[in-house]
Amino acid sequence: MGKYSIGEFEEVVLLTVAILFENAYGISIKEEIEKRLSRKVSVGAMRTALNRLEKKGFLISEFGEATAVRGGKRKRFFKVTPYGKDALEQVMETRKQLWDAIPSIAFDFKFA
Amino acid sequence: MSESMNISPPKLPLKFLKWFCNPDMVEDVEGDISELFSKRLKQNKLKARLFFTLDVLLLFRPGMIRKFEPINKIINYAMVRNYIKIAQRNAVRYKGFTLLNLLGLVIGIAASTLILLWINDEVRMDKFHTKGDKIYQLFRNMRQSGGIVNTTFTVPKPAADMLRNEYPEVTQTTQVSWPVTFRFSLEENGSDEVGRYVTPEFLDMFSFPLIAGDKASVLADLSSIVVSETVARKFFGKDWREETIGKTLRLDGTRDAKITGIFEDIGDNSSLRFDFLLPAQEFYSRNDWVDDWGNGSFGVYFTVDNEIAAKTVAERVLNEIKVHAAGQDNAGDEELVIHKYQDYYLYSNWDNGVINGGRIDYVNIMSVVAVFILIVACINFMNLATARSGRRSKEIGLRKVMGAHKKSISIQFYVEAFLLTSIAVVLAIGIVIVLLPYFNILVEKSLFLDFTLLQTWVYFFGIIIVVTVLSGSYPALLLPTFNIIQSLKGTVKQSSGAAYFRKGLVVFQFAISTLLIIGTSVVYKQINYILTKDLGLDKENLVAVSMEGDLGRRLDTYKTELMNIPEVKAVTGSSGNPLNYGRSTSSANWEGKSPDAGYEINIMLTDYDFIQTMGMDMKLGRDFSNELADSTNFIINEAAAELMGFDDPLQKDLSFWGIDGNIIGVVKDFHMADMYEPIAPLIITCISPGSSSVAFVRIQGSPNSALKSIEKVTKEFNPAFDFDYQFVDESFAETYRAERTLSTLAGIFAVISILISCLGLFGLSAFTAERRSLEIGVRKVHGASVPQILVLLSKDYSKLMLIAFILAIPFGYYFTQKWLDDFEFRTALDPFVFLIAGILTFLIGVLTVSAKSYQAATVNPTDSLKDE
Repeated sequence: MGKYSIGEFEEVVLLTVAILFENAYGISIKEEIEKRLSRKVSVGAMRTALNRLEKKGFLISEFGEATAVRGGKRKRFFKVTPYGKDALEQVMETRKQLWDAIPSIAFDFKFA
Repeated sequence: MSESMNISPPKLPLKFLKWFCNPDMVEDVEGDISELFSKRLKQNKLKARLFFTLDVLLLFRPGMIRKFEPINKIINYAMVRNYIKIAQRNAVRYKGFTLLNLLGLVIGIAASTLILLWINDEVRMDKFHTKGDKIYQLFRNMRQSGGIVNTTFTVPKPAADMLRNEYPEVTQTTQVSWPVTFRFSLEENGSDEVGRYVTPEFLDMFSFPLIAGDKASVLADLSSIVVSETVARKFFGKDWREETIGKTLRLDGTRDAKITGIFEDIGDNSSLRFDFLLPAQEFYSRNDWVDDWGNGSFGVYFTVDNEIAAKTVAERVLNEIKVHAAGQDNAGDEELVIHKYQDYYLYSNWDNGVINGGRIDYVNIMSVVAVFILIVACINFMNLATARSGRRSKEIGLRKVMGAHKKSISIQFYVEAFLLTSIAVVLAIGIVIVLLPYFNILVEKSLFLDFTLLQTWVYFFGIIIVVTVLSGSYPALLLPTFNIIQSLKGTVKQSSGAAYFRKGLVVFQFAISTLLIIGTSVVYKQINYILTKDLGLDKENLVAVSMEGDLGRRLDTYKTELMNIPEVKAVTGSSGNPLNYGRSTSSANWEGKSPDAGYEINIMLTDYDFIQTMGMDMKLGRDFSNELADSTNFIINEAAAELMGFDDPLQKDLSFWGIDGNIIGVVKDFHMADMYEPIAPLIITCISPGSSSVAFVRIQGSPNSALKSIEKVTKEFNPAFDFDYQFVDESFAETYRAERTLSTLAGIFAVISILISCLGLFGLSAFTAERRSLEIGVRKVHGASVPQILVLLSKDYSKLMLIAFILAIPFGYYFTQKWLDDFEFRTALDPFVFLIAGILTFLIGVLTVSAKSYQAATVNPTDSLKDE
């Protein structure tokens, strides 16, 4: 994985943030992941992942406007940094290389 | 939408989230879960709340939880410096309050420290022996037919031998005598010393270190003696180390003993006291009565390896006397019980054959008193700090406006409490050091503050922390809750809860003070009752002179010589002090006694003049008479008459020790033991006046010149002995030393407690008067008189005193009655005592309040109103 250390769940979160683009905040990310991956995500797990990603420099965040729906609390919007993009590309690249290295016979299950 | 908007997420989980969550994330996280909550609300209200709580709990994880260290060390340091400075300024600005606060704390801490030193010393008594937790003592329960059990440490010697030889669990046994007095002489030097007979194992079992001599062999020889360093110095001067060993002392002018060893002087922490040790074997060789199972002799101590072994021994030893003495005519119904030696100092009250308290009761009482006094002092601090909080409200408000957290304001008040407490502790240590010598005289101990001990430091730092928390918590938790706007306007209204709490504390303080006063009065009254009780004999102007050597055999001529002294009214010889007597037999027999019944009856050996000299009254029959040859006639006391069950005891046959005789009279009961004990049955005989060991001299006129003449006569008869005398009333009073010390201590601490309470009350009333100064001014302008205003100001606090008094009554009744119940003879609990205590506290309290209120009431109204 080289210079980028990123976990599987972190990768999912980071990709989701990229998908949502300018509307990536806690709940939207959570719902997007739940929708696309059909798995349950707790606010706690997601928020700590976002936190870690931000600390690693893959994400930046800023507050949006306050809305009444949230008890007057502002949303925190996340955006993928170029560095984060590099990390995602690197992960994909590594995966691809690994896939390419698999001999075709390995997945030939006919004789198994 | 609008409907769901109105429902807010559950409060408690939200509070929890705000508390633990990293402040950087708390806003958006809260927003996120609130949004989720409102979305879920559309489906199911209960479910939404549940999920919200679950979300919060799932957020409680590393990465989300904030750091709980001090927020920033540099800022904290600066703030603490600021707190200290503000505390200092406040303390200096309101000198009166600071002084009241400090004074209360200092007195409270000093008093508690003195008490704890005393308790510490009591608890450590006898705990220095290295084998201490393995040493047990044997006691003998003598069961009387009346159902009463008398317990004595004197145990038949065969029982000790049995323990030593036949009990595998017992690792060591030693016998130790009661204190014996001998006249030591060496050339022309002589002095009376008190010591004990012991068996050679004694020095190995107990940790009394030897300076010279080998502990295994010093007492091996029958003519050997081991003396204390003091005795060695007395006889051999500054070279005692070299000179003492091998020298021969003459004992009572009758026999010689060679010094084989010197032991270190017995410290104050030992209840076994002696200045010399003699081999018990020497005593045994002269007294064959010790070999009888029916006679109690020296005390018996033994060691076992563990509690289980002790239990085995206890079960086996219980009936040894009954088994071995069976069939003997002096066999009593007796059992042997064991008791751990190092606990005996604190637990030594035998109540019908089982231990029931002892000095531990006093230790417990004093512990409670110490804690109470400390609490009373802390309450002062709390009350004064909260009462004055109005003055600090602007400061608190400003701090909050500038961004201070509630937490930092509580820290500020804790810091203030800590500073004041630390100063108080330092001052209290000074006071304790100054007062200790006087306190030592009072409690007859040599206590001192040992700063080389870690324990002392731990104690004082502990006190600082405990008092800081106790006294600082209330202001530290209450004051930060003040509303900012109100506190800046200076119109903080304290909640009625705070006022009630403060009043509750005052009630508590005064209830404790009243309780202590009630306790003191009852103890004092009981002691007064004992000291003035009709004892059945006249103890005033009565001198007891101990008759050393063979003086007893020359009693007649000695008496004649004494009677020639003009101040001497009467003289009698007796085998002991009738007010503290214990020499009994179980061999007494009388008409109609059931053969199986075992009775322990005291025997007193006297001469013909005993009853008259003592000033005792006859209830029936007649006194001994010289003319009627009464040597085999006996006088018994009322208790004995009742025990023997005669309708008319006169002329009934009675025998003991193989002497047959008749009862000629019944003397009115007199007290033969302390007031904890019922009066025991007694036979008085004048068969052998020569066995007397004490002469009682009834004197008149000047006691000094009488004593001089008595001493002169005694010295002529007994030149080799010191003149040893006691006033009977003084030695009687001496018996109740522990009780009198308790009464003095309780009195002192009651005064201290009420003093501290009054300091607090004074501060509170000053605060009230100040706060109501405008009201007072207006009232005065409208014509209120000074007394009216006094009543107005004192009314509130008077009510509190009254409640305190009512609260103190049941507790006071319960505790004092419990203490009195230990006494066989006791004063009745008088409601008057409670009333006096109540009125006294009330008066002191009201006076304190009035003193301050009067000042406020006499202020010229123009002064108080002009600012408005």
